[in-house]
Amino acid sequence: MKRKILINVAGVLIAMLLGAVTMLVQGYNPLETYGALFDYSLGNGYSLAITLRNSVPLILTGLSASIAFASGPVNLGQPGQLVMGALLTTICGLYIDLPPVLMIPLLICAAILGGALWSGIAALLKGLFNMSEFITTLMLNFVADYFTYWAITHPLFEKGALHPQTPLISRNGWMPEIGDFNTNVIVMFLAFIVAWFIFNRTTSGYEWRISGQNSLFARLGGVKVDKNYYLVMLLTGALAGLAGGLIIMSGPHRFIKGLGANYAWDGIMVAMVANNGIIATLLYGVFFGILQTGSLGMELITAVPSELITVLQAVIVLIVVAGRGSFEILAGKLAARKKMKERST
Amino acid sequence: MGNFIAMNNIVKVFPPNVVALDNVSADFSEGEIHAVVGENGAGKSTLMKILYGMQPYDSGEILLRSKPVHISNSGVAIANGIGMVHQEILLIPEYTIWENVVLGLEPVKLFDRLDENKARDEVKRRIEEFQFNLNPGARVSDLSVAARQKVEILKLLYRNVSFLILDEPTSVLTPQEIPQLFDELRRLRDNGHTIVFISHHLEEVIELSDRITVLRKGKKVGTINTSEATKTSLAQMMVGREVFFESIKQPKEPGGTVFEIKDLNYRDANKHPRLTDVSFSVRAGEIVGVAGVEGNGQLELVNVIMGLLHSASGKVQVHNQDLVKASILDRRKKISFVSQDRTNMGACITASIKENVIMTHHRLNRRFTSWNGGVINYKEAGVFTQEVREKLAVQMDSSDAPFRSLSGGNQQKVILGRELFLNAPFLLLDQPTRGLDVGSIEFVHQQILAMRDEDHAILLLSADLGELFRLTDRILVLHRGRIVADLKTEDTSITEVGYLMLEGKSHEA
Amino acid sequence: MNVFIGLINGMIASCTPILLAALGGSLTYYAGIFNIAMEGMMLSGAFFAVLGSYYFQSWPLGILFAILGALLMALIFILFSVVLKVDEFVTGIGLNLFSLGITTYLLRQIFKVKGAFANPDIVPIPRLHIPLIADIPILGRILSGQNLIIYITVLATILTWYLVFKTRFGLRLRAAGYNRTCLDTSGVSANRIRIWSLLICGVLCGLAGTFLSLGYVTLFSENMSAGRGWISLAAVILVSGHPVGIALISLLFGFSDGLGLYLQSVLPSQFTSMVPYVATLIALFVYSVRKRKQAALEIAGG
Repeated sequence: MKRKILINVAGVLIAMLLGAVTMLVQGYNPLETYGALFDYSLGNGYSLAITLRNSVPLILTGLSASIAFASGPVNLGQPGQLVMGALLTTICGLYIDLPPVLMIPLLICAAILGGALWSGIAALLKGLFNMSEFITTLMLNFVADYFTYWAITHPLFEKGALHPQTPLISRNGWMPEIGDFNTNVIVMFLAFIVAWFIFNRTTSGYEWRISGQNSLFARLGGVKVDKNYYLVMLLTGALAGLAGGLIIMSGPHRFIKGLGANYAWDGIMVAMVANNGIIATLLYGVFFGILQTGSLGMELITAVPSELITVLQAVIVLIVVAGRGSFEILAGKLAARKKMKERST
Repeated sequence: MGNFIAMNNIVKVFPPNVVALDNVSADFSEGEIHAVVGENGAGKSTLMKILYGMQPYDSGEILLRSKPVHISNSGVAIANGIGMVHQEILLIPEYTIWENVVLGLEPVKLFDRLDENKARDEVKRRIEEFQFNLNPGARVSDLSVAARQKVEILKLLYRNVSFLILDEPTSVLTPQEIPQLFDELRRLRDNGHTIVFISHHLEEVIELSDRITVLRKGKKVGTINTSEATKTSLAQMMVGREVFFESIKQPKEPGGTVFEIKDLNYRDANKHPRLTDVSFSVRAGEIVGVAGVEGNGQLELVNVIMGLLHSASGKVQVHNQDLVKASILDRRKKISFVSQDRTNMGACITASIKENVIMTHHRLNRRFTSWNGGVINYKEAGVFTQEVREKLAVQMDSSDAPFRSLSGGNQQKVILGRELFLNAPFLLLDQPTRGLDVGSIEFVHQQILAMRDEDHAILLLSADLGELFRLTDRILVLHRGRIVADLKTEDTSITEVGYLMLEGKSHEA
Repeated sequence: MNVFIGLINGMIASCTPILLAALGGSLTYYAGIFNIAMEGMMLSGAFFAVLGSYYFQSWPLGILFAILGALLMALIFILFSVVLKVDEFVTGIGLNLFSLGITTYLLRQIFKVKGAFANPDIVPIPRLHIPLIADIPILGRILSGQNLIIYITVLATILTWYLVFKTRFGLRLRAAGYNRTCLDTSGVSANRIRIWSLLICGVLCGLAGTFLSLGYVTLFSENMSAGRGWISLAAVILVSGHPVGIALISLLFGFSDGLGLYLQSVLPSQFTSMVPYVATLIALFVYSVRKRKQAALEIAGG
């Protein structure tokens, strides 16, 4: 455990160091820049609240990818499942009106349903026709993207708007705020706890984890690998859909063009750097939320373009994963030597 | 005949303190067949790997025609005329013989264009020179194991290797394919080549070699002329004590039929029949062995029994309950299974030992779950892991350690423990001792016999005929997907079974 | 007839970047590498093409810069997946993310714009008019007058086929994919072959990117590759890497793209944009159904 923490922290620091060097080379002051970044995202209660709110989609899509990758299915469809969840939430939010205590759960269900339906299509294609979910979820991302674009440009378009967008959803569907603090964080946390419990404690979770590491062994052990595949795809689609719904309910309160575009691949990225660990996904989700939120402040104060943070994120991923891998190779070599020892005795 | 290669005072230590080779000296002459024998772990593979450049050594020297050479890798070895054929055949099945042979030393024309004609001719030349009886354009995937072995040798001859090291060459051959290999090796020797082969099959060593070097626990016991050696004297040198070549099981009267296969037929995806009219039964307290050359239906048989493949027709029954349509989980209620592929089928090596041990038990035994089967009770799993550890004498640290941290023998013990504890009436064992050291093999055999004593029905597939003859009450021979013989072990011999494996009919017929 | 020629030319234009990237993917496929970084290499190529062309007012330098840009990505891939032995899937995704990030960042830093950079000073790749062939009725309008890169692509397809199946390098390349241990023990470093395949893939993806930003349009926009790298990956997988198969299936995808444009009169533009991706799904469907008939359940190796 200690080793794990060390590798991650070291990797992140090295990546940030590289970022600092890049800033220096371009004439920016790294200390000032990083300072502005963290100050903007963590400096006060308001910043913290915004950062947390922004981290929610990262964490949820990250969980979606983590659980999927660790269980076998290569679900790369979070971008598509997210927008479909958001779309269904928006539709319900526009055409149904109920008091908040009913509306909010309804919209959350809509989000979950939207995401699960979208991932369910990929699961069906795999189950019925053995079509690789790697490619289908990827292609469906683009289909979802264009489909929602059409939806907000034509049937759901807000008359008179200058850009493609829907009208605001019913106020009863807006996630309530406690001070600056948005309650979508609570929903996310609940989802996280449920996901953690299912994945680490239940019988199904055990079967998923083993199936993800060696599906043939699991199958021979009596695990219903195919049934579990569907469950995992639906659950992870639901998580991504939930992320989309919460964006609508806690952010712009309507479907605007480019919604979720930033979060597109971030979930997958978080899962990778977290090595598919559930708790690590939460932590990295928050961390990248800090980076992304802070990047706007960074640009305001030091004029360093916020896009640098997207580069930094990718570098962090590469370095942490490389460091982890090198460590494992080393550990593997040590274990191999140990084996050779035993062989020769 | 002079000294061609001499290895003097070789010392090899694996850190931190395992002495694999302790001052071993050996010499090899031109135009001889030299055997290197010893028990598992004696150091014979290590010694030869050092000569082939695959292992560095700590002290000593290697002389080629009395001049010291430094062999740092296999490329250097080959450049010096030394080549090694490993036990595991390493060829590219999708390529033809000539493509495999010239790979790495291809004749080329302008613009890196492969000179196909020249390559074929070169390979053909060598095939004819040593009478290997192969067609250079044949695809390796179509060849028998014996033929593939020849291609490996060809590869070395193409590189003008005159010193050939063969690691357990007969372990992949049937008894009937061995004489042809021996003839080829003798021809090479008569041509001036040196053949060094590592083996623990003493009859073959005595039949083929000119001289024998015996190693024991990293030390050289001696080098003798084969003409002066006997099986017993060799065995004694190898082990240091008297060795008996006997079966160890007690006679037992088998009970009622537990496992039965009736008229099983299976065709693969290309409609080729892989199993034809297979019928046999296994009774309680009986060990039935299945012998056969690899690729004659064993894989399909095992996979159909386990439910990975679905047969076209026939029945698979345990206690008269037909399992053909049953899910794998339902089958596991009646069948314990040790597969031949430890890392891919028998275990999840990246998971912890605990997680490996409770597989299948987690669905069949309420002990390991709470909340009506919904949540895993990891504490009980840990207790169970200790139970397995005790019963099978497994050497392991903590039950949370990754499975792959265990040695091969201990891994197999854990797998065996998991399967035995399922206490299923029928045990399906597929090469259960492959790759294990002598001590572990002994232990596993005892466990298998103990299960026989407890009236389980056991089906044992093994490529080791010695093992089959040691453990089984009956032997089935699988040939081209058919059971061509169902014999009582005490009524037959290794030679007869070998013949059946290869020809599909008995010697007399 | 004009419509027909327009469709054909559209098909060829849409097919080209996919084909080029897929050829690169084919080489890495044969080498046994799970390469999903074509998207990132292509994007990088597209950006640096514009950079080179704009600042040096020269399209040949645009091509050179594109290739260098894509090679940079390839080198990063090599560093992480071959040298540091990071999982290829993870490396590929990381690389795509990095490429997206850095091209977007540099777009802002160097050109001081967000979204897209278009400028009359960017020099596009010229078309090639072949004197005699241009005069052939109908065919002439297809065979002559195409963008230079399209002709390069035809050449590249033939060369790739030759490289893989007729040369010594090709023999070793496929051996690396079939059984790298065998190749290593035969005296050839499998890693070196893999590195070469990635480098050539970089060159080809760089060309693909050049076509995107200096070919028919002359601009760079954020995330310009728009998933074409994924479609080319699908192409490689669907035909198991064979260059000729790749050419055919790329034409198919190109056709679907062109079809999409044609359908814009009938369907909203968003739906027509979906066409290539739906086409990929359909192609995958056909492939999977065929494969399912052939393969049995997953069986462990004997």
